[in-house]
Amino acid sequence: MAIPVLMPRQGQSVESCIIGQWYKSVGEEVSEGDILFSYETDKASFEEEAKSGGILLAIFFEEGDEVPVLTNVAVIGEKGEAVDAFDPHSDSTNKDIAGGGGTVERESVEKEESPKVIEFEVEDDVPGKRVRISPLAKSMAEQLGVNIQQLKGSGPRGRIIARDVKNAAVQVQPEPVQKPAVQSPAPKPQVLASGVDFEVKSISNIRKLIATAMHQSLQNSAQLTHHLSADARQLLKMRKKYKDEFSAGNISQNVTINDLVCYAVIRALEKFPQVNTHYLGDKMKWYKKVHLGLAVDTERGLMVPALQNADDLSITGLSYQLQLLAAQARTGNVNPDLLSPEAASFTISNLGNYGVEIFTPVINLPQTAILGVCTIIPRPKEIEEGVYGFVPMIGLSLTYNHQALDGGEATRFLAEVRDQIENL
Amino acid sequence: MPKVQFINPDDVRKPSQLEFNPIPINQYNKTIEEEKKNFSREEFLRIYNDMVVIREFETMLNLIKTRGEYNEIPYNHPGPAHLSIGQEAAAVGMAFTLGVEDFIFGSHRSHGEILAKGLSAISKLNDEMLESIMKKHFNGITLAPVVAGHTGTTQELAVKFLLYGTLAEIFARETGFNRGLGGSMHAFFTPFGVYPNNAIVGGSGDISVGAALYKKVNRKEGIVVANIGDASMACGPVWEGLAFATMDQFTELWEGDMKGGLPLIINIMNNQYGMGGQTCGETMGYEVAARIGAGLNKDQMHAERVDGYNPLAVIDAYRRKKKILQEKRGPVLLDVLTYRYSGHSPSDASSYRLKEEVEAWENQDSIVWFGNELVKAGIAQKEELEAIRSNTADLITTTLKLAIDDEVSPHMDMRKYPNLIGDMMFSNQSVDRMDDREPEVNHPMEENPRVKQLAGKERFMFDENGKPYSKIKTYALRDGIFEAIIDRFYKDPTLIAYGEENRDWGGAFAVYRGLTEALPYNRLFNSPIAEGAIVGTAIGYAMCGGRVIPEIMYCDFLGRSGDEVFNQLPKWQAMSGNVLKMPVVIRVSVGSKYGAQHSQDWTALAAHIPGLKVVFPATPYDAKGLMNAALQGTDPVVFFESQRIYDIGEMFHQGGVPEGYYEIPLGEPDIKREGSDVTILTIGATLYRALDAARILQDKYNFSAEVIDARSLVPFNYDLVVESVKKTGRIVISGDASARGSFMRDLASNITELAFDYLDAPPVVVGSRNWITPAHELEDYFFPQPEWIVDAIHERIVPIPGYSPENDFTEEEQLDRNAKGV
Repeated sequence: MAIPVLMPRQGQSVESCIIGQWYKSVGEEVSEGDILFSYETDKASFEEEAKSGGILLAIFFEEGDEVPVLTNVAVIGEKGEAVDAFDPHSDSTNKDIAGGGGTVERESVEKEESPKVIEFEVEDDVPGKRVRISPLAKSMAEQLGVNIQQLKGSGPRGRIIARDVKNAAVQVQPEPVQKPAVQSPAPKPQVLASGVDFEVKSISNIRKLIATAMHQSLQNSAQLTHHLSADARQLLKMRKKYKDEFSAGNISQNVTINDLVCYAVIRALEKFPQVNTHYLGDKMKWYKKVHLGLAVDTERGLMVPALQNADDLSITGLSYQLQLLAAQARTGNVNPDLLSPEAASFTISNLGNYGVEIFTPVINLPQTAILGVCTIIPRPKEIEEGVYGFVPMIGLSLTYNHQALDGGEATRFLAEVRDQIENL
Repeated sequence: MPKVQFINPDDVRKPSQLEFNPIPINQYNKTIEEEKKNFSREEFLRIYNDMVVIREFETMLNLIKTRGEYNEIPYNHPGPAHLSIGQEAAAVGMAFTLGVEDFIFGSHRSHGEILAKGLSAISKLNDEMLESIMKKHFNGITLAPVVAGHTGTTQELAVKFLLYGTLAEIFARETGFNRGLGGSMHAFFTPFGVYPNNAIVGGSGDISVGAALYKKVNRKEGIVVANIGDASMACGPVWEGLAFATMDQFTELWEGDMKGGLPLIINIMNNQYGMGGQTCGETMGYEVAARIGAGLNKDQMHAERVDGYNPLAVIDAYRRKKKILQEKRGPVLLDVLTYRYSGHSPSDASSYRLKEEVEAWENQDSIVWFGNELVKAGIAQKEELEAIRSNTADLITTTLKLAIDDEVSPHMDMRKYPNLIGDMMFSNQSVDRMDDREPEVNHPMEENPRVKQLAGKERFMFDENGKPYSKIKTYALRDGIFEAIIDRFYKDPTLIAYGEENRDWGGAFAVYRGLTEALPYNRLFNSPIAEGAIVGTAIGYAMCGGRVIPEIMYCDFLGRSGDEVFNQLPKWQAMSGNVLKMPVVIRVSVGSKYGAQHSQDWTALAAHIPGLKVVFPATPYDAKGLMNAALQGTDPVVFFESQRIYDIGEMFHQGGVPEGYYEIPLGEPDIKREGSDVTILTIGATLYRALDAARILQDKYNFSAEVIDARSLVPFNYDLVVESVKKTGRIVISGDASARGSFMRDLASNITELAFDYLDAPPVVVGSRNWITPAHELEDYFFPQPEWIVDAIHERIVPIPGYSPENDFTEEEQLDRNAKGV
């Protein structure tokens, strides 16, 4: 029976060898132990002996050829035996080789995947020279509303350092900063082409940040929104009660509808910890406390500061803290740590004041969900059997990441929010 | 330098000459017929069987490596396989007489030894013990694949277990003996007395000595065999191990039942090649490796050469040499002559030897020869031997199938459990004592002269008026280290300490003063000047279950123990799959004043190697607390001490250094001075220069510096430092190491990443210059000084009004120095 002669594998790193010299030629008789050919790797040269005796029936590679290891290089057998089946150049054996080299192929496929390109945004909205400024000074300038373009740095090589910003802040601001910080130093809009009926304005940094965050949110998660409404009669009753007490001076805090909804949501989150989470791709971060993000519309753009440990607060405490946080966000002196999407475990965005009836809020990734609170509209409802009346209903829009939560869970959570609102 | 040994010039100056005893070479000449009275038929057959098992196991690996299949089972093994085909008689002969309690250590070429010793142990263990061993190992994970469908005896199951555990380990399977983390060159299984094999040539040459030391000091039964190659006899650590093993003090100074030599056989598996170099005739000059014994001690290590192609000759030698060890006359050196047909590795073309040479040895193949002899002597039928061979082939085939089946023998799931290996780097245990017996001491601790002396010392540096006490009255850093160590000596009976002049002298820096009085020789002794062996033996000692404090007298000598500190000590916990613990605390003293080779801070070298914990305390309170924590743990700790401050008192911890036991957790930096304008983070003794800098800044420039002492390098919790930077916005990192590639640079880079938004300037590193350390008189130009720190703050962080710096810390200078490489 004809037996193929394999190119041996000399060590794991060797994928192919070069044939040096054939000592036997086709048709010659060989005995076991005869040296058939020599071959080399990048490290050394070797000689291959015949493992069996017979006639050298075929040679598939010439001297100097590079041959993948474990490939048939020759056939030894008895005169007249067919050798085509062993020829690695023929189709049938090629398939075998491809099968045997499966791992190699897979590797090359992986290599072909194009590398990830990370593009850096270049800040080109700063006219003139590059400003040398320390990271600390930069964030201080943003907070204190100091225009760094006009600052002269006193640090090494003229770097603007924290003390320069601090000094400038003292000089520049005789009156407390009420106006949003960025407004005063906003660079003049650049008109790129004259005579046209538009002008191209560069966008602010915070706009860029929001743009990136929102875009990434929609790109990197599977968002969908459920809408549901809750009977708002109890809510309005509570609101009236607090309003009266506030007017009467019994409490120091004017508790708003938003505060009450937030309070209800926190209670619901306590029952549905899977919603009070961050979705991190391969894991979920389950928060033991509720850190409530509150979307605040400011003149500088949308900000979502987090209220830490919101579940520890009473309704009046919650009201006070939310009010404080929203005010800080509007004046721009909120702790930047609280603005990071990682700081909140769940976010509420309330557009009810603006009369919005239904909307699809965008999740603040990595958070798992966001609740949109809509306006209160009177809707017909069966009050008792067969009797319908108009009942004020508040709209609730829950956007959730379907990667993290399933529809059933999300719906049950939203229903819980409804129940909490109806039973405040 | 014991006083009991008087070096009399009249004696040692007398003329005379040394006599050597003849070293036997291949003296064994018994026939099988003659040996019939010494071996049962079963034993003869077991010898044959074990050799066949090893041959088939390695033949299988050879085929897998070179042809990608065995018995038509295809497999791709990308890892190493250094085979010992041809050496089977030497391995089986070595292991045959050994008991389960005897330990073997090996090399990169030790598959045969693992199997030989494993099979030998299996034959000596009863079913109950075998079952318990197999079930206990990783809670039966290694056993499960072989037990499924097994019908034979427990011993047969154990053989399958041995073959499977070894092969799965070679193939990096989680079910292997070491969870696949050791692999071919490191596989081992301690319950059968198989201790780590070593991919560094000669790596076992000193580790095994430590194992023998453990057996002796802790009165454990059994001997230790170091299987190392003929070429490893050129390695420094092997010579150091031999020097350590043959110290006179074992017989001259150790007392009572401790008197006597180590229970150790250095077994040279002499296959006559080191890679492609021929040890006899080319790369060595000993001609016969047994000759080395004559150079080491009076007994010539009882050295002899044995014919390793005859298993009975090797067994005969072991029977005789074990007796010598029982009589406490060890250690022994055996030169077991053998030959490998396979190359160094499958990629070795054997271009350095003649085909005829390999054939000549194959013609005398020990398995074929021994089989024929058994048949000739009427001990076995040909058919019986054939049955052994074919059964073995079946066994190996089944084992291979199991070991490559991804279902039953998976690799570690690193995707699902990405920290699996990370979790094994340290054992992180808290263990008072490694054994329960009463610690051997010379007197109650309170009677110790040093302990009594310390009772009178001031444990805080200043009196109530803030005036420092005199040096002689002050409890110093060296006292803190001493208290932690003596406390552990009285708690943990396995604890031993050694290094250069640890006994009598009490260490070059008087840390151990008083320990000599408290401890017998076998717990505290002077080692040869052999840093490799000092650390290497400690590794072997710890591997076997002891706790040990080796000392490196100067940090600069750490290089002398490079392989031990960088390749052995940090690796064995994880490479064993967490089977081994490594409670070794290496004390390393960092010098100054003594120039270029005695003044270097090499903390970065230790911190760079994964698997070592690294601490560098700078106050007595921290030194005692960290030493306590290091000694309570089960991980290797490199404990740096600075010679500049051995005599410093405690100036931070209110109430002074507590008398009782307390631990300071490794990895937590500590604020030594609070401040608000800049943070100065220091490593080691630089702390005190940073405090001087802080005083200058405060007094002259009203600039408030917070000073943090890193205390530990590995692990390191950045929280405290990041919080400080959030407060100050600025940081300088200082230490006595040459700045380039130092741990300071690592700290700076991490802080930049972790606190970037809070930084008012890049972190600045103020380390030593990238030069030789000059003489003491010029040291202030080399090591960081208080003024350097102030200069660096002024030039790189925040210019100080009215300040003019003396040193150049500008970017130009930094560029220039780097461009020049200095």
